Amino acid sequence: MTSALISAIRRLHIAVTPQIRVYSSNVAATTSAGSNSLSITKKEWAFQPQYTKPREVWIENLDTIEEQKLGLFELHPSVYAAPPRLDIINQNVVWQRKIRFVSWAHTKTRAEVRGGGKKPWPQKGTGRARHGSIRSPLWRGGGIAHGPRSGKSHFFMLPFHVRIHGLTTTLSSKLAQDDLHIVKDLELPTDEPEFLAELVEKRNWGPSVLIVDDTDYAPRNITAATDSLAHINIMPVYGLNVYSMLKHDTLVLTLSAAEKIEERLLHWLHADTRAQSREYKVNQV
Amino acid sequence: MGSRQITEKSLSMLRSLPRISLGNIRDNPNCKKNPKRGRAQHGGDKHGAGNKGSGQRQNFMRLGYETGNNPFYLRVPQEHYYRGQHLRREYPPLSLHQLQNMIDKDRLDVNQPIDIASIVRSGIYNFFPDLKQFGVNLTDEGADIFVAKVNIEVQWASEQVIAAIEKNGGVITTAYYDPHSLLLLKNPKKFFESGQAIPRRMIPPPDAIEFYTSAKTRGYLADPEEISKERLKLSQKYGYSLPNIEKESNYEMLCEKKDPRQIFYGLEPGWVVNLKDECILKPKDQELLQFYNS
Repeated sequence: MTSALISAIRRLHIAVTPQIRVYSSNVAATTSAGSNSLSITKKEWAFQPQYTKPREVWIENLDTIEEQKLGLFELHPSVYAAPPRLDIINQNVVWQRKIRFVSWAHTKTRAEVRGGGKKPWPQKGTGRARHGSIRSPLWRGGGIAHGPRSGKSHFFMLPFHVRIHGLTTTLSSKLAQDDLHIVKDLELPTDEPEFLAELVEKRNWGPSVLIVDDTDYAPRNITAATDSLAHINIMPVYGLNVYSMLKHDTLVLTLSAAEKIEERLLHWLHADTRAQSREYKVNQV
Repeated sequence: MGSRQITEKSLSMLRSLPRISLGNIRDNPNCKKNPKRGRAQHGGDKHGAGNKGSGQRQNFMRLGYETGNNPFYLRVPQEHYYRGQHLRREYPPLSLHQLQNMIDKDRLDVNQPIDIASIVRSGIYNFFPDLKQFGVNLTDEGADIFVAKVNIEVQWASEQVIAAIEKNGGVITTAYYDPHSLLLLKNPKKFFESGQAIPRRMIPPPDAIEFYTSAKTRGYLADPEEISKERLKLSQKYGYSLPNIEKESNYEMLCEKKDPRQIFYGLEPGWVVNLKDECILKPKDQELLQFYNS
C-alpha cells in the first residue's frame, strides 16, 4: 500500500528541467550521502554522441536491502535517450505477439459437415424454395461459409530498424520514467526469496522486475531466490525484448549488461544494413 | 528550438506520465487503412467503382486493340534497333568525378592498386554480373578535375580517361573478367565462406579479344613495350609531359598487375582461403598445379 502511495506521489512530481549530465561538483555533494568510495566513469564510445549529452545513472547494489550508490555511470544518449516513440513500441509488441501466433480456430464447410448428399426435395413443383443440400450455409446445422480454418499463421517480420529503434525507445522511456536501474552485479547475501521481495518493496521497484545480465548463467543465490517469485525474472542480454521490458514494471540491468546492450545497439545503429533491409524494401524493380 | 530539445522535453514529460506498459500503448491514430469496404446505407453504394460499364465490370479491351482498326503498333513497320541487345555486354559507368570523390572521402585507398573489388567495397558503385554487366566503364566526366595518382584496373575506358589518369602519373589497365569471377570480386567474403578453391579467370570472348589485347586501350593482354610506346604517343596527342613513374617512391605499387588467370590481388587460382582459421590452403598435387597454371 505505502509503496503504491509513494510511487503515485513520485509520479505527480513534474520534472521541468531536462535530464542533463551531472557535473563533478554535484557528484561531490552526493558523496556525503552514503557510500565512502564512488566510482565515476566517463566513457569513450566508438560513436561519440554529437548533439546530446550522455545520461548519468547511479550504480546501485543488490547485497543490502537499503540502496547504496556505488558510483556514477554514463549511458549513450542514442540508446538510452532516444525519442520515446509509442508507435514504434506498439509495432514491436504487436509483432512479438503475432510472430509466434497460430490461430487454431476451425469451422467445417458444407462439404465437411456430415450428410447433405441428397437433394432434400425436387427442384420444381413443391412450392418450396429450391435447395440442393441440407448442409448449405443457409441451413441451420449447415456448413460455415468463409469461416476460420485452423493453422493460420500470423507470422511477419518487422523491418530491421524498427526492431532496433523499438529497443532504444523502450530503454529510453524506461530510463526517463525512473524504471531502469543499473546494479553492479547480481550477488545476493542469501538465497531466500523474502530478501529479494523485501528489497524490491523497499526500493519501490514495483511488483514485477526484469533482471538482465550479460551472461546466461546467474549466481546461485539470485536464481534460487527468483525461482519461487513469479514476478521477478532473470534474462540474458540476447533475450532482451520490448514485450518483456513493458510487461515488467522495473528493468534492472547489470553494469556489463548495460554496456553490452549499448555496444550492440550502437553497432547496429551505425552499421551498413542495406543487405538486411533489402528484402523489406517496397517497390522493388 | 532544435529537435534535441523535443527529445529532451518529451522524455521529461514522460516522467510525470503513467508508466508505459502493455496496456497503454497504441499506434499512431489513422495510420492503418481499413481493409474492409463500407456496407451501410451510403458507404456501400458503388465502392468507388462508378456507375455501370467497364469501371464496374473490368471488361477492358486488350491493350492496343482499336475495335477492328489496324492497330497503331502494327501500322508502323518494325525496326530492330535492339536486336541482340540481351546478349551484349554491359559496363555500368563510373565517372572520374565519382572516382575522385571516393578517393577524397577516403573510401578508396590510393596506396593500393584499385580493382573492381575495392570499387564495389567503397559502397558507391554496384553492378550485377547476372544481368550481363561486366564491370566498370570509367567515363571522362570530371576528367579536368581528376588529380589522383592511382594504379587502377577497370573493364572499359575511353582514350580521354586513359589520358586523364596517365597525365597525373597513374597507371590504368583494362581487364576482362568472366561473370563468375565478377561474382567473386563483388562479394569475396561470401565466396571464401563457401570454402571453395579460387577458380581461374577465363579468357575474353572472341569479340572482346581485340579490345583487351590492344595497347591503345591498355588491355591486360597487350605487350608492355607497346603500351609504353602508346603512353608516349597519347601524351603527345593530348599535349602533356608524361611523368616518369620509374622514379616514384611507390613505383612497385604502380607496376603491380594481376596475372591474366588471377582474380584477386595476392591470391592465386587454386588456393582456398579459410576465414575461420585465418589461413590459406595451397594445392600441392602436380595435376592440380598444372590445371591451375594452364
